[in-house]
Amino acid sequence: MTAHSPIGGLIAGERRRRHGDLRVAAMAAAVAGAAATLLLGLSGWFLAGAAIAGAGGVAAIGAFNYLLPSAGLRAMAILRTGGRYAERLFAHRAAFHALAAIRPALFAGLAASPPRKSLALSSGEAAAGLVQDVDAIETAFVHRSAPWAAGATAAMAAALIGLAAPLAAAAFLVGLAAQVAAGMWLGDRLTRAAGAAQLRAAGRLKDGLGAYLAAATELRSFGLTGRAIEALVAHDAVVGAAVVGRRDAEASLGLMQAGLAMATLVAVALLAQAAPLPLTALAMLSALAGMEGLSGLLASAQQRGAFREAVARLDAVLIDPGPVTPAPSGPVSLTILGRRLPPGSRLGISGPSGCGKTQLLEALVGLRGSSPGSLHIGSTPLEAGAAGWARGLFAFAPQDARLLTGTIAENLRLAAPDADESALWEALADAQLDARVARTREGLQTWIGDGGEVLSGGERRRLSLARAFLRPAPWLLLDEPTEGLDRGTEAELVTALERRLARTGQGVVIVSHRPLPLTLCTERIRMSPT
Amino acid sequence: MTAFDPAPGRAFLRGRGQAADAPTARLVGLTVAGAVGTAVFALGLTAMLTGHSTLPALICLVGGQVLRAGSGWMSARIAARHALRVKSQLRRDVLGAVLGRRRGDAASVGEVTATVVDEVDAVEGYYTRYLPAALEARIAPLLIAAAVAMASPVSAGILLATLLPFAAIMALAGGAAGAEASRQFDALARLSGHFVDRVRALPVVLAFQAEAAETARVAQAAEEVSRRTLGVLRIAFVSTAALEFFAALAVALVAVYCGFALLGLLPFRAPETLDFRHAFFALALAPDFYAPMRRLAGAYHERQLAEAAAERLRSLAGGAPSVGPVATPQPPAPTAPEVRLRNLRLRFGDLVIGPLEVVAPAGGLTVILGPTGSGKSSLLAAILGETPLETGSVEIGSSRVGGPGGAAEPAAWAGQTPAFIPGSILDNLLMAGPGVTREAALAMAISFGLGPALSRRSEAGDTVLDERGSGLSGGERRRLALARACLKPARLLLLDEPTADLDVDAEAGIIASITALRGGRTVIVATHSEAMAAAADVVVRLT
Repeated sequence: MTAHSPIGGLIAGERRRRHGDLRVAAMAAAVAGAAATLLLGLSGWFLAGAAIAGAGGVAAIGAFNYLLPSAGLRAMAILRTGGRYAERLFAHRAAFHALAAIRPALFAGLAASPPRKSLALSSGEAAAGLVQDVDAIETAFVHRSAPWAAGATAAMAAALIGLAAPLAAAAFLVGLAAQVAAGMWLGDRLTRAAGAAQLRAAGRLKDGLGAYLAAATELRSFGLTGRAIEALVAHDAVVGAAVVGRRDAEASLGLMQAGLAMATLVAVALLAQAAPLPLTALAMLSALAGMEGLSGLLASAQQRGAFREAVARLDAVLIDPGPVTPAPSGPVSLTILGRRLPPGSRLGISGPSGCGKTQLLEALVGLRGSSPGSLHIGSTPLEAGAAGWARGLFAFAPQDARLLTGTIAENLRLAAPDADESALWEALADAQLDARVARTREGLQTWIGDGGEVLSGGERRRLSLARAFLRPAPWLLLDEPTEGLDRGTEAELVTALERRLARTGQGVVIVSHRPLPLTLCTERIRMSPT
Repeated sequence: MTAFDPAPGRAFLRGRGQAADAPTARLVGLTVAGAVGTAVFALGLTAMLTGHSTLPALICLVGGQVLRAGSGWMSARIAARHALRVKSQLRRDVLGAVLGRRRGDAASVGEVTATVVDEVDAVEGYYTRYLPAALEARIAPLLIAAAVAMASPVSAGILLATLLPFAAIMALAGGAAGAEASRQFDALARLSGHFVDRVRALPVVLAFQAEAAETARVAQAAEEVSRRTLGVLRIAFVSTAALEFFAALAVALVAVYCGFALLGLLPFRAPETLDFRHAFFALALAPDFYAPMRRLAGAYHERQLAEAAAERLRSLAGGAPSVGPVATPQPPAPTAPEVRLRNLRLRFGDLVIGPLEVVAPAGGLTVILGPTGSGKSSLLAAILGETPLETGSVEIGSSRVGGPGGAAEPAAWAGQTPAFIPGSILDNLLMAGPGVTREAALAMAISFGLGPALSRRSEAGDTVLDERGSGLSGGERRRLALARACLKPARLLLLDEPTADLDVDAEAGIIASITALRGGRTVIVATHSEAMAAAADVVVRLT
């Protein structure tokens, strides 16, 4: 994570905000680790001490303080339990609250990215980004207490071993350091590539799936569903191989850890052998428990590869949008292909398909670039400002009549969040859709399905028009506003649009293949094939 | 809200696991080897502490550890491969189900994607972590207790006695967590679906400057996911805490019992006489008695996620894995079929279409006209077999759509909103049929007026289309879809709004191309175009 990583910045910010929870988690983890070590070590010491005292006769038994150790054992059992619970709860609480804050920040960043970048992102990739990559970031929070647990456990174990033989304690710490170093370094190396490959392959699977799902009916109609499944299964095989590779790497790492742990234990045992029996027992069991305290730290090392890859992918999505250009305000004239249009003008654009009519409208709302000099806002060339700087001037009904998955009201309120129901009905009436909506049982709350698939093509278009009508902008941009409508509905819609324009004084730019909508226009441009 | 019943999901996971060549016997063997290794290791530890010669102790330590770690390594690898087999088959089955998805299904593309990718992934932990851990938790503690009993039967009894209250608590916590996990998956699927939809609609969101409002909605969905996940984990943590407690208690009780026995201060007469060696061996093994269950608890959350996912996957993928390839497309009929709609009624929520009696003549052009929303597209979908019929029947030639006589003659179809597969323009044309050549594809594209669009691009037919089909104008997309449908060697052609997005001149060209298909094919067109209707043999007007 570098200083330039926007996601790194977000994570750091959330860590600061969740500082309290994370600190409690770290402390609880330390307490639990130390208590677990003390529990086992103390048990060994108590046992050996009791054995010696028991062999030493009645006086020795009387001199042996058994109340304190046995009470201590029970206390440690409770501390260990409580510590573990608190650690888990607080660490996860911090993690999930932070994730809930990072996800919307990511969407906002995506929306603010240059359109050429953000609109090129297919839905599959983006979904992978939000759901999968952000989940991988969870580890940045949950495993933050692991070093504390490991540190406290190691310190406690070393102290106890030191009671038997300081040299054994030193050997223990060296062995521990070797385990940590090997675990971090090898864990990173072994699992990073596999973890990264897994995330990448899963992203590709999602992409392919999104594309094939959109064309599911076409695939069926051409008998290609089987082939699509095979293509996706091929992606799945890559994901599967990556996952197995990762599990294998984790298993090998476990094997290596076991070897190092055994070597450490043998060293401690040999070095502490000279000490009195209770202390040797204390040392050996403390070493055992002390090494178990590393498990969290080693687990987090295994997830580092996936974490880094997720951060890199998210960083690639969040691009600095650059300086913001102040939006023009009030009635502004437009110049389109050299034609100057004072506020309130009505321009019709026609031309053969593929000549760039739609691109012109999309350039105005900043969804794509424009050829220099072709468009002016007032006297400013459009390309002089940041992408989308003039958006506030326009209410756009795009050619593909793209709708949100949701209700009719949700789609309409995209244009005017505070509009009351009567305003929504009025816009629907002007778009000739009010009667249709009134017939449904739930009216404005009717659920229109995925991208509006419950509606017919003509209904989607009219809903998109009603949405544009609701936006109080000086210019309406209508791309093929009557496509998919029958002649009667088209005529009524054009009449209603004329009335509406007269009432609001809005200007309009209409792109149409059909002649009727263009009759509204006082200015005409016929584009020629490029 | 009904109670969450994990049993069907559990049975589904079990069945899937067994069908994928479950490695149970090998895992049992490795678990036994691991437990033996653990006992040998504890023996080595005891010998090291009390022994007079170090070498046998060292051999025990190394041998025990090798046995223990090696069997863990092996079972991890075996389980990973088993999980892979299960997931591959499951994903294949789910893909078959979701690509068979009909128009108007409730789930959005984003939610379906979450099912195929995330929920299938969610079952992995069940096979890699939960199943081996469950096996170990059932076998290893008893073996450890048996080993302890050889040194100190009373210590073994103490260990076994702590197991009873622990099992009771685990059973209580389990059911509650299952319901929570199911709700969490709902929230996660909603978040994923919402996000995919809003990214897809990003041009509109940007055009209406609604970024802030939509970000707030994503925040709301994300907040819900976090809340639900915490709910699941809180319960999971309670059961882990119970486990921690009993694990610690078991060690403490064995230590206290052995200590007092060695001191001779037990308030009761022990049925055994302990020496330090036996006592230490029992103590050294005591933590390992609960260790398999602690591993199982670590995997418990994974099992719950898997069960909740299985509940959803079950309805898509069915209980048993499917076998055999997907049905191959039928060969085209030798002549153009007659299409008859008999007393046909369709229902879409509030909208009812029909009853209709229509005969589309063999080799003729039938045009369906009607105001927007009158059900033209739905009628084509019914002929295509994509929509359930409320009453009546659709007959194509001698077969019935969806009837018992097997699949009807496959029709070629160009939808209202054409969709393209990932790949180039040519890829999308060649998908029309296995026998379509490059030359035929390009010729058809040109006959539908794509010539200028192809020659304008440096890559011509190899121009790659992205998911949004960008690079093509609306009219070009439509022409491409028409060319693709006509390339399919089918005798029945269903075209939805073939002249939308086109100007009058282009419309005339398309109509000429379509009328030229008559004779060899039966063509049914849904349209608003009166010019198209003028060229028709039969005109059906919906109201």
